[in-house]
Amino acid sequence: MAKGVLVDIPKCIGCESCSVACKLWNELEWDEQEKNKTAIDRAKEPNNGLWPEEWTSINRYDLEKDSESVARYVKTQCMHCEDPACVSSCFSKAFQKLPEGPVIYDQSLCVGCRYCMMACPFDVLRYEWKKAIPGVRKCQMCATRVANNQETACTSVCPTGAIIFGDREELLAEAKKRIKENGYVDRVFGEKEAGGTSWLYISDTPFEQMRFRTDITSKPLPSYTEGYMKATPFVGVGWAAILAGLYVYNNKGKEPLD
Amino acid sequence: MELVTTVVSKAGAKKSTVKWKFKMTPMRWVFTGIAAAAIAVILVRFVLGLGATTNLNDQWPWGLWISFDVLLGVALAGGGYGTALIVYVLRRDKFYPIARSAMLTSLLGYIVVVLGLLIEVGQWFNFWRPYVSWGHASVLFEVFWCISCYTVIQILEFCEVGTEKVFKGAHKYLKKAMPVMLIIGITLPTLHQSSLGQLFYLMVGKVNPLWWTAFLPVFFLLSSFFVGAGMIVIESSLAGKALNHKVEIPVLRGLVKISAGAMILYLMLKITDMVVRGTFANAFAFDLPSIMFLSELTFGVIIPIIIAFSSLSSTRKGLIWFGILTVSGVIMNRFDVLFTGMGKYLNQYGGSYVPAVSEFIVSLGLVSIACLAYLFLAENFNILGNHESEHADDIEIKDGKYASTAK
Amino acid sequence: MASKVGRVKSLSRRSFLKFVGGASLVGVTLNLTGCGKPITPDKAIGGNGWMPTQYNAPGNWPTSVRGRVPIDPENPAIVRDDQKCILCGQCIEVCEKIQSVFGNYELPIKKEFVCVNCGQCIQWCPSGAISERDDVNRVFKALADPNVTVVVQTAPATRIGLGEEFGMPVGTNVQGKQVAALRKLGFDVVFDTNFTADLTIMEEGTELVKRVTGELHHPIPQMTSCCPGWVKFVEYFYPELIPNLSSAKSPQQMEGALIKTYFAEKKEVDPKKIFSVAIMPCTAKKFECQRPEMNSASKELNDSNVSPDVDVVLTTRELARMIKRSGIDFASLPEEEYDKLMGTGTGAGVIFGTTGGVMEAAVRSAYYLITGQQPPAALWNLTPVRGMQGVKEAAVNIPGVGDVKVAVISGLANARKVMDQMKAGHAPWAFMEIMACPGGCEYGGGQPRASSPPSDEDRNRRAASLYNIDAKAKLRNSHDNPEIKQIYADFLTAPMSEKAEELLHTHYVSRADDFIPKKSEENKLY
Ligand code: SF4
Ligand code: SF4
Ligand code: SF4
Ligand code: SF4
Repeated sequence: MAKGVLVDIPKCIGCESCSVACKLWNELEWDEQEKNKTAIDRAKEPNNGLWPEEWTSINRYDLEKDSESVARYVKTQCMHCEDPACVSSCFSKAFQKLPEGPVIYDQSLCVGCRYCMMACPFDVLRYEWKKAIPGVRKCQMCATRVANNQETACTSVCPTGAIIFGDREELLAEAKKRIKENGYVDRVFGEKEAGGTSWLYISDTPFEQMRFRTDITSKPLPSYTEGYMKATPFVGVGWAAILAGLYVYNNKGKEPLD
Repeated sequence: MELVTTVVSKAGAKKSTVKWKFKMTPMRWVFTGIAAAAIAVILVRFVLGLGATTNLNDQWPWGLWISFDVLLGVALAGGGYGTALIVYVLRRDKFYPIARSAMLTSLLGYIVVVLGLLIEVGQWFNFWRPYVSWGHASVLFEVFWCISCYTVIQILEFCEVGTEKVFKGAHKYLKKAMPVMLIIGITLPTLHQSSLGQLFYLMVGKVNPLWWTAFLPVFFLLSSFFVGAGMIVIESSLAGKALNHKVEIPVLRGLVKISAGAMILYLMLKITDMVVRGTFANAFAFDLPSIMFLSELTFGVIIPIIIAFSSLSSTRKGLIWFGILTVSGVIMNRFDVLFTGMGKYLNQYGGSYVPAVSEFIVSLGLVSIACLAYLFLAENFNILGNHESEHADDIEIKDGKYASTAK
Repeated sequence: MASKVGRVKSLSRRSFLKFVGGASLVGVTLNLTGCGKPITPDKAIGGNGWMPTQYNAPGNWPTSVRGRVPIDPENPAIVRDDQKCILCGQCIEVCEKIQSVFGNYELPIKKEFVCVNCGQCIQWCPSGAISERDDVNRVFKALADPNVTVVVQTAPATRIGLGEEFGMPVGTNVQGKQVAALRKLGFDVVFDTNFTADLTIMEEGTELVKRVTGELHHPIPQMTSCCPGWVKFVEYFYPELIPNLSSAKSPQQMEGALIKTYFAEKKEVDPKKIFSVAIMPCTAKKFECQRPEMNSASKELNDSNVSPDVDVVLTTRELARMIKRSGIDFASLPEEEYDKLMGTGTGAGVIFGTTGGVMEAAVRSAYYLITGQQPPAALWNLTPVRGMQGVKEAAVNIPGVGDVKVAVISGLANARKVMDQMKAGHAPWAFMEIMACPGGCEYGGGQPRASSPPSDEDRNRRAASLYNIDAKAKLRNSHDNPEIKQIYADFLTAPMSEKAEELLHTHYVSRADDFIPKKSEENKLY
């Protein structure tokens, strides 16, 4: 069954255990500059805290709630779309959606065109600009752990259960239950966004105030180009046939051109 | 500059000598300079990576190189397939004089694109992956196959010209294969020109609605077709200066009219598209995107149409204006789709991108290399000197050697 | 080109198919033979690192220990180097189970991370990821400034800790060497916090007597207030018990306030040019010195240019770092004496550094304050309040008053239990000493990290060393301290006089609004 993760934003205390776990498990390097940034800094920067060696980031938003100022911590990483734009955009199949949920990337297949980065509806892909031989970087949803029936590294360390791993369907039900019980915003971000994602978010503060792309389409992005790609071979062959026909017709009885 | 190659065709026997010549003018020195600078930057890029040579970042993974070298390069080079269609398939023989040179521009354009791509992609040594690891759901997959195959086809097509001078033995086989190559050579570019537009259709909600439409492929295809004529006009006038070769006005005028016909279709589709999607308000909001959009249409399409169907197109000046406006219009369009179209989205959290000097150098350098190559080929092969071309009065063959290569 | 149309056609079709078909065939073959195989998880980037074993459980199984405590980047006392964290969960264990801070609030958090700055997580973190906020450079800068008089005070417990940083056995008393080292580092005046510990006893003892006699309308039991971690804990979780807290400042803050008033006046130093440093076994002291109330000197002198009473707090470890950085050979330093005026402490002052010490010192002086007589020798060895038990009780017979019940608590989880009892109405004590850190200051968050995990063995050794100093001291009662007598005669007039109230007493704020209180008794957050 497809796995997923439920992020219960109000339960996050900003301990950043999850991002450290991600570093440990994925052997991501520490960068002085990134290390010194705070959750507030990261929420404000264009990269949203995500960098080639930072696959996930805890970002802090200071908001108003019931005329009281509150802080909310939002974990960011690849959303692991159900039908991912990155997978469909990659012309060398370096991306793949596994049946268990993770969307994974194999650098040995990557050409480096960065179309995936342009296509990703959540702008989570990062490129190793500083390297001579760069690759695309993003959360892999701990595919090797999930394949071995373990939960993702980040969820396994979360002390408050703000992020929980499980079957996507069950998590979705749980999310809806929590929305009702806790009076959260009535939306499971990731249920339908971009056709649905493996990672689901619920919150008691408006999503749009926390850099979520709330105006996103609910159609899977690949469906936008699917028809085009399916039609292409037929159009191509048909067009060639027409051209051949025209060629033969127009050249009939004429001196061939040099 | 003169180079003599001696080919030994049979062991120790007959020797045939081919003379290559290339005259250096100040302009050509400038080209060489830029090209050298570009090569230096390219070397740095391969050693230190893209971050060291470009201003690209995670908000702007695509920048000047991709838009200039690929979108634009391909569009400008697209004139080749248009001419091939008109001349060889539709047999409008009056345009034959420009066919070879248009196709040469196109070939060089594609080679520049391919080179540009190799520099631009991160793992260039993996360029062959899509041949075996099929990401067939990707529009880029189609673009990739088409561009690479078409480039091969174009090289073969050019070999047909080339073998008139060297490796003459292969000439007759290539000549035989020409029709097939021509047909494939028209099919492939039409497919990928439209696909280049479709590339952006995946970026749902990121591109300004003025440019983001289901018609993207059609717009890209049509504009690549009509820009071909503009390019030929400019090219023939430049080549006319550089190589003392001018194409007759009626030929160009006819071409311009065909091109303007495509423009009318394009314009009508644009308007229909705006009506259907209700983006009129956006178009006349007179903010940056709207101004760019309107000027792109006015200067790049409407005015050229007027020129084409008025008496202006019977003068060389008018023709050149047509060329300049059309080409800049399409350049603008391609930049608009990426930069103006996506700027608001990509910069919403403080992202920014201004191409680095080194990026400009490489783009200009690639163009310079293409120009030099064009000049070299045009001087050494039968590209321009077809029977129907008009000899300019001021033709001056300084050392007489030039003439020997002309037919 | 072929002249026959038919030939062209057939050639065209054949070649076209050949070309496209050939290319596709090559692709398909390569695809099938492996070059285009779908990616398997092990091909994906990352995913080959390690995780602490407790987290390698099957999906969704709860692990016994999870994650780590949140630390605010602005936390004045503690910082964490994420790069060193191994997610062992020890910090969360100590914070939740021993200090009962983490998880004792409902989610969502409002704005602040609830943290009492005790620094016990530092002591438990096996990888050294958590440490005190390093203020060493601020002190070095002040030392380098010739216009500034740098005055330093050392807490009772640093003298029995510092030696460990230089390889000496646990509990070695290095009082004299510490003074020598501070002088060598360039501190202009070296005072002893033991002095204000004695002063605290005078003020707090007087306050207690006044509460008992009803002269002061504050509730009984009176609770000590010298531990800033404990004070913050009350402010967070038991704001209704704030009135029970003694209004006396901690010895550190008393010393700080007096340095910029009493010392400045006596030695004719411009208080604006005094930089006051405190060497403490404690990280919460870093928080305490930044509390807005802690600028009595500035208020007293009515000069906003006077900086807070204590400018910088350094932990024992930071002092050790300063000594090492300056290349001082600590072991070969001579024994030196504290400066006079506020450098003399009694045995009662020094045992402030361990759990039960404040109580013992207070009992000695309370006896004197109530009866006017010197306490009997039994009160110089009040065994019931000694030792590492979390909650200790004793009854002291004071003539005229009878049995006075006292309680001594260390470790905030223990305190929480007792506070809950108190709220439920069970509070038979007159006076309670509470220290946030198990064992008291001698194992505070700023003390040297022992090579073994925190243990009572080490705590007992350090405590024994403090009791040893007390046993050998010439003066063992706070009220006997000659400098205490002098300061009351020269400056403060009497305990709890108006001036003493202004400089030596403080007030507390409720922090209950900083978080949502726990609804159920269940201690876990998830
Ligand atoms: S969020 Fe982006 S990178 Fe992640 S699966 Fe979706 S499209 Fe791919
Ligand atoms: S799922 Fe794995 S790779 Fe993704 S953020 Fe969590 S720890 Fe990192
Ligand atoms: S581990 Fe859990 S509580 Fe801590 S920052 Fe991550 S999601 Fe939030
Ligand atoms: S004790 Fe130290 S290493 Fe362990 S989880 Fe806490 S900070 Fe990390």
